[in-house]
Amino acid sequence: MTTSTTTTTPSRWKRLRDSYLWYSFKRDRTAQLCLAVFICLVIAAFSAPMLAPTDPYDLRHIDIMSSELPPFWIDGADERYSLGTDAQGRDLWSIILYGTRVSLLIGFGAVMLQALLGVTFGLMAGYLGGRVDAFLMRLADIQLSFSTLMVAIVVGAVVKATMGSAFYSQYAVLMLILIIGLAEWPQYARTVRASVLAEKNKEYVDAARVMGLRSKRIMFRHVLPNTLSPIFVISTVQIANAIISEAALSFLGLGMPETHPSLGSLIKSGFDYIQSGSWWITLIPGAVLVVLVLSINLLGDWLRDVMNPRLYKG
Amino acid sequence: MTLKKTLLASVIGAVVAGTTMLPMTASAETLRIGYSADPETLDIHEQLSGGMLRFSHLAFDPLVRWTKDFQFEPRLASEWEQIDDTHMRMTLREGVTFHSGNEFTAEDVVWTIERLKESPDYRAIFEPIASAEAVDDYTVEITTTAPYPLLLNLATYIFPMDSKFYTGETDSGNDKAEIIKSGNSFASRNVSGTGPFIVTDRRQGVRVDFERFEDYWDTETKGNVSRIVLTPIAENASRVAALLSGGVDFIDAVPPNDLDRVRDASNANLFEIAGTRIIGFQLNEERVEAFQDPRVRQAVDLAINQEAIADRLMRGFATPAGQFSPEGYSGHNPDLVPRYDIERAQELMAEAGYEDGFSVDMIAPNNRYVNDAQIAQAVANMLARINIDVSLRTMPLAQYWPEYDTRQSDIAMIGWHSDTEDSANFFQYLSFCIDDETGAGQYNYGSYCNEEIDALVTQADSETDLEKRNEMLREAEAMLYEDVGYIMLHWQNLAYAAADGVDIEPVVNAIDFPYLGDLVIDR
Amino acid sequence: MIAFLIKRLMHAILVMFVISVLAFAIQDNLGDPVQQMVGQSVPESEREAIRERLGLNDSFLVQYARFAKNAVQGDFGYSYFYREPALEVIARHLPATLELVFAATLIIVVFSVPIGVYSAIKPRSPISRFFMGVSIIGISIPVFLTAILLIQIFAIGITITLFPQGTGWGAWLNGLLSTEGNMPSFGRGYDLVHVVGHWDTNLATWDGVKHLVLPAVSLASIMLPLFIRLIRAEMMEVLQSDYVKYARAKGISMRRVYFVHALKNTMLPVITVGGVQIGTMVAYTILTETVFQWPGMGLMFLDAINHADIPLIVTYLMIVGLIFVVTNTIVDLIYGFVNPTVKLTGKPA
Repeated sequence: MTTSTTTTTPSRWKRLRDSYLWYSFKRDRTAQLCLAVFICLVIAAFSAPMLAPTDPYDLRHIDIMSSELPPFWIDGADERYSLGTDAQGRDLWSIILYGTRVSLLIGFGAVMLQALLGVTFGLMAGYLGGRVDAFLMRLADIQLSFSTLMVAIVVGAVVKATMGSAFYSQYAVLMLILIIGLAEWPQYARTVRASVLAEKNKEYVDAARVMGLRSKRIMFRHVLPNTLSPIFVISTVQIANAIISEAALSFLGLGMPETHPSLGSLIKSGFDYIQSGSWWITLIPGAVLVVLVLSINLLGDWLRDVMNPRLYKG
Repeated sequence: MTLKKTLLASVIGAVVAGTTMLPMTASAETLRIGYSADPETLDIHEQLSGGMLRFSHLAFDPLVRWTKDFQFEPRLASEWEQIDDTHMRMTLREGVTFHSGNEFTAEDVVWTIERLKESPDYRAIFEPIASAEAVDDYTVEITTTAPYPLLLNLATYIFPMDSKFYTGETDSGNDKAEIIKSGNSFASRNVSGTGPFIVTDRRQGVRVDFERFEDYWDTETKGNVSRIVLTPIAENASRVAALLSGGVDFIDAVPPNDLDRVRDASNANLFEIAGTRIIGFQLNEERVEAFQDPRVRQAVDLAINQEAIADRLMRGFATPAGQFSPEGYSGHNPDLVPRYDIERAQELMAEAGYEDGFSVDMIAPNNRYVNDAQIAQAVANMLARINIDVSLRTMPLAQYWPEYDTRQSDIAMIGWHSDTEDSANFFQYLSFCIDDETGAGQYNYGSYCNEEIDALVTQADSETDLEKRNEMLREAEAMLYEDVGYIMLHWQNLAYAAADGVDIEPVVNAIDFPYLGDLVIDR
Repeated sequence: MIAFLIKRLMHAILVMFVISVLAFAIQDNLGDPVQQMVGQSVPESEREAIRERLGLNDSFLVQYARFAKNAVQGDFGYSYFYREPALEVIARHLPATLELVFAATLIIVVFSVPIGVYSAIKPRSPISRFFMGVSIIGISIPVFLTAILLIQIFAIGITITLFPQGTGWGAWLNGLLSTEGNMPSFGRGYDLVHVVGHWDTNLATWDGVKHLVLPAVSLASIMLPLFIRLIRAEMMEVLQSDYVKYARAKGISMRRVYFVHALKNTMLPVITVGGVQIGTMVAYTILTETVFQWPGMGLMFLDAINHADIPLIVTYLMIVGLIFVVTNTIVDLIYGFVNPTVKLTGKPA
């Protein structure tokens, strides 16, 4: 039943919005540029094995004697390493490509998990109301009263403790998806709940109820589609947030291991060397992270303006 | 001054006030220390740690102490004589007083040794001593359970405590002598030693104040430090910044990434000393059959480029090692240098039938040794060249030791500093065949076992002729080198830095306990 | 009102209960604190004895009950690492963090209000567009990266040789873009002034303030863009409202309309969000303090995790939870006070 809704909803939503969305996109240079940059980054990241000159996961190509070489425009650079090397002697360009892939995977994965949890709980809270609502929203309150980072650190410790650190590092990507996913579901739940509360008393829901449809069916087939546009808007922001959260956790040494680094762990590993002048190890991955997050954020901004005309555009 | 300034300002204020009120010598100087850690407690037997031993050298004096080149220098013991295989007689210095004013006698030494044997941290080290007895006021006779050549090494740990001061009951009825770990005992709050400095004030984790002991017995010393303010600064970068900005005069543990900054600084000097802590890896023979083959172990050793790690990752802040014993140690064998030959390593792997390699996992701490996680990573990369595929996990120390104790990984990193500053200690803990009864091989992660080496070291440990003993230990090192019982990387260097005019060079040593009583400041 | 406060109190107790149970549940796997307390060569039997004495071998329920009993009396246990009462350790680290948060808040208020108001009044001016652009870039740079950038530029220094050094204008431009890098980038410095108790302040001396600048700017960088955008959005909405139109029609000077009538109404939702965000900022201090080695609670917490210092971790989380609940409650109270039409029902706004 749920699968059937996911196939029908986008098309209906498309019919409703497509024309305006496309119209606005055609007019907005920033949005076009951001989408282009974002798509380029995604393609580059996911075709890393083809684009990268070396495979940074293949340890035998790593030579410590070629560590901390600067990027090509600085004296002392080695032509084999266009963006220079890190402290272990890994090619920075290759490792950034692979690292971006890791960051994107975690970002998207975590947002999908958040959306799944948040939408389900939000629908339940909004539609069922009463005790369920009170319980779920109290849970969300408690979680929101801490920031994502704190929750993620604590959830991370719990996950590590229950699974063991060997298991944890083996499935680090999945674990981080789980941690960040668990840490941010309330954002979705609250939005969905609010939309559901707004939709709940509309006539079509009453009609469905009078027709004798079960609440599960009403929730997923009738109410959910009408809450999709805020979900879509949040999702872009949340992807950016999830990527930043992952980078922050990795920067604190609680995320991806340095053998399979994400952009965050690359920044962290370079930070030790910034005082000794090897700024590129930390700042180049940093720049990539910023461009990635910025393009997503600008797209999200644009989407919000388009989909929510109540807000203004400067 | 309406606002009361803390730290620096108040110290300076106090010193200014102090110098005007007290008739001090013209050379009276204040030393502001920024150590990475402050003493955990004031009870020198509560915990065996670098911070505590440094404190012991300030407020107490040992019977003997190490010189820079690992000789024994008489302190409270002025002479010693081995009477027979198990008895040593020590003559004590006369006219020494404790901070409390009590006279120092042989009774205090006996009392201290007995207390050491009660201390959880020292008990094991003092196992070889059977008893101590005061022959007269200034002669003490120490009996060992068996012939034991390292009695003088142990004597560097004997800092006589004021037995009268620490005897009796506190107001709340507790024994003044009791040792409570991480607790609140009399000895953890009160001090009376014979050392050059008296503790005047102490706030845990914030600062410790010392003042020179006026009746200090060593009147020969040129040391002119009259006051010490010790501030713990745990963060590496902050400690360096504190020195460079003039906030403190003397710091320890300069991190490798800041060495150049300190070297280039106009107002400070860097002092590097080859250290004695060996860093290396253990191959778990219980879990990986291949590691039982000496050829595979040798291949691993040959595949690792110790020089490159010391040069690149450590920025020259390490001495590449081919054996446990650093220079100056009894068993140091100058012939044993690091090996690196990737082709030979590949050949050996092929000979052993592991041409296609195998997969292993490796664990390493990430906040224990200098650059530990990066070193482990580099070693993992190097092993890939001989087709050993390493998956590395690094973790903070608190998680590392429990993990290490389970011996559930294939390769583990460990650093070791010999408590006795003697070669045999390395073997006993790191490479002896594991024996839970005797505690041998307690840190032998790989379950490596070579009974010949064990027998030789054990024999050396009851050989009281030191020249013969050293020869045996050198031989043991050579055997271990051949059999590759431990993958040696390097000895981690020590780096101190001091402000101009603070001449720390003569008082710092590889053992990492600066003798600040002898420090001369000439600004 | 009373019912509201009681409800909030229950909320706070619930939060602290959940945290303490959670933290206790994970403690075994955070590491072995005893290993940190003894020398390396101490045999296992001795370590076991210490574990026994500290009660680390008791069952989960026994340990928790013991902890809860003491905690109710305000005793949160001894930090293994600092060997002091955990609350004491936190009290010592709290002022550093509070000063950092205070300085960051100051920066946020000073910059966000004028910029937000201006870009609401003149949404299409190039300056507004510039600020909006900068603010979204600001949101997209993670706080630790901002911190690293600040260190590189102001503490290490950058030398630009983009323009030909030989020519006068080239050298001038290069010099303009290069920085000397003499700002302190770690720790609180040594010129602190003691105020009271554990509180040594950075704010009383020039050196102290200099140490505070970079950490505070980087902490503020994460919230500043959010507030600029929030103030702008709220202000624009208020400017569309009837009473502003009416005031304008009445001929009241524009400045008065903007800064007295409109701004007052704008600040209500801003205060609400602001209160919540200040709580969040305490959490962000973990990152800022790590980069700048600022000896506050965030750095202490990360150290505590690495040392498996369970009593300290539990206490920190409970205190932070309490701070959050308290700030939220105060915000709601202020909100209710300023705008009496809002009913305090116990649900955060």
